[in-house]
Amino acid sequence: MRKLVFAFVVIGFTNGLAQSKKGSDTYLDGINDLDEVVVTGQINPQSVDKSVFEVKVINRQTIDNLAANNLADILNQQLNINIVPNASTGKSGVQLFGLDAQYFKILVDNIPLVSDEGLGNNADLTQINLDDIERIEIVEGAMGVQYGANAVSGIINIITKKDSEYKWEITPFIQEESIGDEYNLSDQGRHIQSLRVAHNINDNWYAQVSAFRNDFKGRFGEKQGQDYIENDGLRGYEWLPKVQTNYKALLRYNHKNTTLFYKFEYFDETVSRYSESVFRNFNPSTQTSNPTANDDIFDTQRLVHHINLNTLIFDKTRLDISTSFQKQTRNVEQFTYRLLSGKKENIRKNEYESRNVFFSRGNLSNFISTESFDLQAGYEINLIDGYTSPMSNPLQSEAVSRSLHSYDAFVTSRFELSEKFSIRPGARLLLSNNFDPLFAVSLSSKYVFNDGLQARAVVGSSPRTPSYDELFTYFVDVNHDVRGNENLSPEQGYSAFFHLKKAYWNKDYSLKVKPKLSFWYLNVEDRIELSIVNPSPLAYQYINIDKFQSIGTSLTTSLEYQNLTANIGLSLTGISKVLDSRENFNDDFLYGLQANTSLSYRVPKLDITSSLFFKYNGPQYQFVQQQTEAGETALERGKQDGFGLMDFSLRKQFLNKRLDVTLGSRNLLDVDRVNTTATEGGAHSGAPSNILLAYGRSYFIKLLYQFKF
Amino acid sequence: MKHLTLTLQFLCIAVLLSCSSDDDSPAQTETVVAFENSELIFSTSVDERTINLVFSNPAQQAGNIQLSWSSNNSNYNEDFVTTPGSESGTLELPFENGDDGVSFELQKLQNPIEGQEKTINFSITSTSLSNFIAGGNTDLEVAFSEAAASSGNFAPEVGGPNQPNQVFLDLSSQSSVTSSREAWDLKFYNGDDFRVKLNGSLFMAAAELEFEDITTVTAEDVAELQSQVAVGTFNPANMAYVDAPNGELYGTAISEISVSDSENKVYLLNLGNEIGTETPQPGSEAVAGEARGWKKIRILRDGQNYILQHANLDETDFQEITINKTSQNSFSHVKLASNEIVQVDENITWDLKFTVFTNEITGAGSYGFTDFIVNNRLQGAKAFMMETSSFSYNEFNIDNVDTENFTEDQRGIGSQWRVGGGPNSSPTLKEDVFFILQDGDENIYKIRFTALTNDNGIRGYPAFEYEKLN
Repeated sequence: MRKLVFAFVVIGFTNGLAQSKKGSDTYLDGINDLDEVVVTGQINPQSVDKSVFEVKVINRQTIDNLAANNLADILNQQLNINIVPNASTGKSGVQLFGLDAQYFKILVDNIPLVSDEGLGNNADLTQINLDDIERIEIVEGAMGVQYGANAVSGIINIITKKDSEYKWEITPFIQEESIGDEYNLSDQGRHIQSLRVAHNINDNWYAQVSAFRNDFKGRFGEKQGQDYIENDGLRGYEWLPKVQTNYKALLRYNHKNTTLFYKFEYFDETVSRYSESVFRNFNPSTQTSNPTANDDIFDTQRLVHHINLNTLIFDKTRLDISTSFQKQTRNVEQFTYRLLSGKKENIRKNEYESRNVFFSRGNLSNFISTESFDLQAGYEINLIDGYTSPMSNPLQSEAVSRSLHSYDAFVTSRFELSEKFSIRPGARLLLSNNFDPLFAVSLSSKYVFNDGLQARAVVGSSPRTPSYDELFTYFVDVNHDVRGNENLSPEQGYSAFFHLKKAYWNKDYSLKVKPKLSFWYLNVEDRIELSIVNPSPLAYQYINIDKFQSIGTSLTTSLEYQNLTANIGLSLTGISKVLDSRENFNDDFLYGLQANTSLSYRVPKLDITSSLFFKYNGPQYQFVQQQTEAGETALERGKQDGFGLMDFSLRKQFLNKRLDVTLGSRNLLDVDRVNTTATEGGAHSGAPSNILLAYGRSYFIKLLYQFKF
Repeated sequence: MKHLTLTLQFLCIAVLLSCSSDDDSPAQTETVVAFENSELIFSTSVDERTINLVFSNPAQQAGNIQLSWSSNNSNYNEDFVTTPGSESGTLELPFENGDDGVSFELQKLQNPIEGQEKTINFSITSTSLSNFIAGGNTDLEVAFSEAAASSGNFAPEVGGPNQPNQVFLDLSSQSSVTSSREAWDLKFYNGDDFRVKLNGSLFMAAAELEFEDITTVTAEDVAELQSQVAVGTFNPANMAYVDAPNGELYGTAISEISVSDSENKVYLLNLGNEIGTETPQPGSEAVAGEARGWKKIRILRDGQNYILQHANLDETDFQEITINKTSQNSFSHVKLASNEIVQVDENITWDLKFTVFTNEITGAGSYGFTDFIVNNRLQGAKAFMMETSSFSYNEFNIDNVDTENFTEDQRGIGSQWRVGGGPNSSPTLKEDVFFILQDGDENIYKIRFTALTNDNGIRGYPAFEYEKLN
């Protein structure tokens, strides 16, 4: 029973966490007792140290210390990752090594999560709540063999809680948070309520349900809200208000070597977008004004069913099958709002965009297995039915429905050539109804030197499938000719990573230091870009034309000394873009620096943990086309200023560790807008001189109570 | 038990916090009724006019409005009558639930003797509903005279997001003429020069060919040229194929028509686009529909007349029409499909024209503009823009007019009254500007735009108010 694959054990820190009391001996040996077990990219769950891949783990402790609600809150502090919020849609995307959310895949319990615009990629991080999360695993680099298309820059695998040590565990919490300096109980701030109930029915059955509500009231900032009647650009919100509710359920069955679980999730989000343009409708005859505005309310619903079977067949061979139905639909209600009477008129409700997904992945592992050799073979099916309305893309004239079906087969293996040296070659064949057959390959190796120094080299590839915008844009009128291209090929991403790490400790293990040095190279070929395909009459089309490269290095160190844990990281990433889609470009590498650090100090006697997180995003550079005074276009090196994000919290447990109170502040350095010259203006608008990245310093309090028996 | 109590308390707080108060905005209860204009001019050529009263919002129930009138030098049944009748000096106008105004007819029975001032004053005296109140223009002065109106409002019927109409407006007589953009193709100048202009509201374009015989030109001859002879190609050289956007007569795409036939070449004519038919998203436009195809044309002179030859590209035959110069208006308009001269602006001396327009973006060539406003350059109308940062609209008076600011360019207003707009956003009314217009008779007006869209944000419903300054 204890050796179950999905015995989700977080050992985390040596003392204090109740979870470590039981089951922790499964993976304990030597110094590895400090290591988390990871599943991402593994044939069998492994400790981080044994994994051939370099897996970063964010554990529950860190999530709790940050009082993080959604994935954006936590990834903000990660090295190499940038969170790019879009204040006008309310979404937040991820950027890694200069590649946006289309290149990054988000998985929950090893399977990709549906979003408005894709499966796994293009996710809105604010829609992923962390209330039932055990830990988060991050792997940088192309993971096409393990996770298919769109895993170019990396993947995140969110592992949910699937067990409890108690017969009953009832955990309600509330969290009150200011949004910048805005907070009250009615129309400002963020108000979160959550309840989770876990129950071990008997030795075989386990059930868990949770409900979560996040009422984000939006940020006014300079804006004046919904009922502001002037047409001076101040109506509405700087950050859109949204209300999210999330219900989850899990039923798990264990018996001998078999685990079966069914997971259900329902997510609902309402985002209100109040137009900043006001039609004042001044009537000079009556000298009255009856102002109106065109507002939109978006309602997103996500439904996830996931069933997983993990069992042993023929004694040793492990069968693991996940099947999932997922659906995410974004509807929009558009209406005319009469500002004086508060009436909604001319109401239209439409589907905005949606994705309907059937996913299945199965694999057999250890079916040819010796001490020094593992083989895993499997299949993956993705059936994605998508819909986008013209409202979702102003450059698309008609609604588009499209099915993307892909059928993949993959093989990975692990050769333990010696105690010290192991390699993992793998390959995947991707067949689809839309594209020519594609291959993804990977080759990883690990070598442990005599002094304990570990070296890993990881090479992988993954394609990126074209987006709907790239395929179906059609904006042709007397002045414009901008077209998508249904004949696009997927982009090809390749990556190579090299990691060196070693652990040092003193005699009584009270001090442990683990430095890690990494180098990488990432390359995207056949990059899709909107290009001029005819200069006169001017016509644009998306074509496979450009090339993207990223190189970088990072040094991270973790340190533990008695009750102090500290992490420090430094990374330098260079990005080069060959833009054959443009008349002129500069493919020099432009470098950006990032640094992060986290400090956590625990006072066991008082049950207090204080944590400080800091991430510095150095200036980012990009070549932009600018008009010179002579009216010619020239390339200049634009710069987005650097900024620091600092979070602080104090967490104390009361009442025999049943009541957990966390107080803290996010964004202590009060960052909101960051100056930039690194964006280009559009045909109808100038380049913005700053971008909105955060909403200033905010404060939170979280009260969590654990009712266990 | 202690735990349970605590948990319950906790949950109660959670529930409390999750209930947000829904405070309702105050309901709008009063409806204001007013005359559409405070002044109405009956020139000698006008016999009857409709007098409109408007409501600030649609009526919530049926009712009626009482008016009274008093006159100066004019008598009921002698000088004027109203429909419905009002011999007693009062007038009752009923309205239904949902109506947004009422109206009555005023008919002039005889013109005043020159020098005599005849006026009638109408006033709103009462309404049958307590929440209907008179406000704004509560009085209307009707003058039987030739003087220019001192103020007024217009809501030109551009016709919504397809902007199907061109609307010609004369501020001094408070009159307007609405005409379909597709009513005509070419217009022929009636002044001294022999010039022909294209219908830029349909994005037409013309290129001179080497040919002098219209029958010998084939589609093959022009095939290579066709992609370039169009609006919006983003090739600056395409300005040669459209009329000068500044309205200068000498800037026409078609060269001056010569007395010598051999100098009058055949032209390739891109007929532009039909009026759009799609219903775009609120705030967007869809002015351009299907392409209207191509013609070849040749224009000759016959004394003081024009002769227009036109045919489809591959035809060896052609149609011909003679256009005689008239003194009635600046241009005579011709529709090719019916091969006839058509009335477009009904010969009014217009000051402003609301139209879709072929403009220029410097460096990118010709570019189609919507919501465009042209001042009548050939009749001497000029305009310029004022920013409210220097003068408010209400304060601005004749002493503040710097006549040096008037521009010859017919784009004195142009698209400057709106701001923003592009594929991802809709333009909005520019709230911080107003315009000064001088018409051909040197009346000077200030003009303030009050709408670009209707209440629902649908494009193509402009409105403005104006006041005479001198």
